[in-house]
Amino acid sequence: MEDLIRIENLVKIYERGEVLALNDVSTTVQKGEFLVLLGLSGSGKSTLLRCINRLIEPTAGTIVFDGKDVTKASSRQLRHLRRRMAMIFQQFNLVKRSSVLTNVLSGRLGYVNPAASAIHKFAKQDIADAMACLERVGIPEQAYKRADELSGGQQQRVGIARALMQQPDLLMADEPVSALDPATAHSIMQYLEQMNQEDDVTVVTSLHFLSLARRYGARILALKDGEIVFEGSPAEIDKVKFKEIYGEDAEEVEVR
Amino acid sequence: MRTPKKSKYVKPRPIRDRFDAIRPRFFAFMLDWMIWGYIAYAVMYFLQRYWWRYVDFYNPLKLPAWGWPVVILGTLEMALLTHAFTQSPGMAAFRLRLVGTDLQDPTWAMRIHRFLRMNLMLLVQPVLFFQSKRGPERLMHDSAATGIVIPIALLKDVIPTKKPRPWFLTYRGIFIVLLLAMTFWLGWLVSKMAPSKLVSGWSYASRIWGELFDIRLNYLFADVNTKGLLFSISYYMAETIFMALFATALGTLLAFPLSFLAARNIMGFSPLGWGIYLIMRFLFNAIRSIESLLIAVIFAVWVGFGNPFAGSLALLIHTVAALGKLFSEQVESVDPGPLEAIAASGARRWQVVIYGVIPQIIPSYLAFTLYRWDINIRMATVIALVGGGGIGTLLFYWKNEVGRYADAWGQVAGVVVAIIAVVWVMDYISGRIREKIG
Ligand SMILES: Nc1ncnc2c1ncn2[C@@H]1O[C@H](COP(=O)(O)OP(=O)(O)O)[C@@H](O)[C@H]1O
Ligand SMILES: [Mg+2]
Repeated sequence: MEDLIRIENLVKIYERGEVLALNDVSTTVQKGEFLVLLGLSGSGKSTLLRCINRLIEPTAGTIVFDGKDVTKASSRQLRHLRRRMAMIFQQFNLVKRSSVLTNVLSGRLGYVNPAASAIHKFAKQDIADAMACLERVGIPEQAYKRADELSGGQQQRVGIARALMQQPDLLMADEPVSALDPATAHSIMQYLEQMNQEDDVTVVTSLHFLSLARRYGARILALKDGEIVFEGSPAEIDKVKFKEIYGEDAEEVEVR
Repeated sequence: MRTPKKSKYVKPRPIRDRFDAIRPRFFAFMLDWMIWGYIAYAVMYFLQRYWWRYVDFYNPLKLPAWGWPVVILGTLEMALLTHAFTQSPGMAAFRLRLVGTDLQDPTWAMRIHRFLRMNLMLLVQPVLFFQSKRGPERLMHDSAATGIVIPIALLKDVIPTKKPRPWFLTYRGIFIVLLLAMTFWLGWLVSKMAPSKLVSGWSYASRIWGELFDIRLNYLFADVNTKGLLFSISYYMAETIFMALFATALGTLLAFPLSFLAARNIMGFSPLGWGIYLIMRFLFNAIRSIESLLIAVIFAVWVGFGNPFAGSLALLIHTVAALGKLFSEQVESVDPGPLEAIAASGARRWQVVIYGVIPQIIPSYLAFTLYRWDINIRMATVIALVGGGGIGTLLFYWKNEVGRYADAWGQVAGVVVAIIAVVWVMDYISGRIREKIG
């Protein structure tokens, strides 16, 4: 299989507070893969994800996405690369006062006619697509509600619909289910799984619970203090590895 | 590339260099000096006043030329004294505390030593400050006097938890209470408080009130001056309302785009943007601090005294600055999450603003605009005081005609009643709108 992302010697230092958040991280993500990032909070998972689409500027190192160097891309090239990388978030990051439909459509802003988008005008096709995306995540009837009227699980579905709107090659998810209850969490994870298997979208997601990672991940990459401490299949994580990732005092808990 | 220590917050050193060490202490000392300067002012005021009243009416007490150096040096010494012996108000304000080198409360000998040394060091400090090769937190006069002033935060674990004395038994507590008492006394004298005037002025006032309550509204629609130089109350009222409306509407339209230029999270991505941000913020703050009454003075002489255009412009400018500032604070406090999400999908920066920022700020913009409308309508009623036009023109006209016309006070009252009615109606309307959007 081909590489979709190649990360080489990635370093991120937050100037404010002088934190070394990522220390010489190198890895590759193959096309069609379902990769799970594990690690304690503060281990650098969010930083790694945000470096890939340069929401955060890496301090050093290279990131190659589908043969193109993200770190050297001009702002225009970066926009074009970002269109192919969708992202969903722990806190959903919807515009709360806008309608669900507008939120979904905003996933399309990289593609649409900029002048028309300035006056909130979208092509008929885009609106039909947005409705289709909402249909796919099972909430078409909520399209005209304000985003903050929805429950957490529904909001995350809107997040997924917004990501689907991009027709991405890569879906990055930063702890997509941490703010949700276990049952809802599984339904959200199943949408990710579905995108991965049916639409051939490569998925990179950070997760809090090992049990979720075991259930959905094809490959696991564990971070600790900004360094990779484990890379391999979920089955390889035994008690010893677990303590290495989560620290001596940790106990594994099950999310059903 | 630098290689900082591994992960976690590397705690910044508490005091980085000696500028860092001296900054809070410098400000603390300046504050103390200002307080003593204020005390000196008060004392001189009391002396002059009571001298004039009780000692010599014809030869008022004056500070001689040599008095100024005495005042300056005296206040400086007093500031040093409070600084060397106690935790002065300035030190308290900047969270500083005086301790010995053993980090315990200083002894009396140490305090006296320190006071004398500080006097000495005042002369040579600037030289020694830059030449000191010791630790940054130890300044020269400290090491000389075996005592240091350091941030309280650094003492948390050191000082044994002694039972603190109640505030009225501490030097600082007593000092502050005396300071407040003195301020009250001074304020009473300076603002010429005289409750007895309320009684002695009663008979005159009640006569005027009688005239005032004879409210005249005969010029509500009829022009005051038949030659057309002065118009009716309703004419000026319309002028007033439109002045406020014009200033609020156009001010909002201008402040809306400008507020983005003064928002750090929008502009802080390039040096040019940062420059614009700083300039805009400075302009907003500078203009906002000038009352629209003062701005109106400028325009009244420019476009004509009594011309409502002058008042409108003054209101407009103040509105743009005040709303621009308020709006930009709203822009800065938007939830960054949605902006991140929209940017991550490949949107342009201005698209992020349109789809991410604007929906978040619209409700507060409307609320601020209504609030500004309330302010502008009030200001428009009195801006005629400096020639800004509007209903105030009539108010001050009639006030100046007292004595010439028997019903002048009644006319004043008529205008006042009209103002109250209009302001009340406008407040009611904006309140209802606020309810709707809130
Ligand atoms: N904006 C920031 N400024 C300074 N330090 C940050 C910032 N964001 C994250 N960090 C620090 O970087 C490290 C990694 O954080 P993060 O990537 O958010 O970890 P995770 O997502 O695994 O919880 C943490 O130590 C965190 O405190
Ligand atoms: Mg995180």
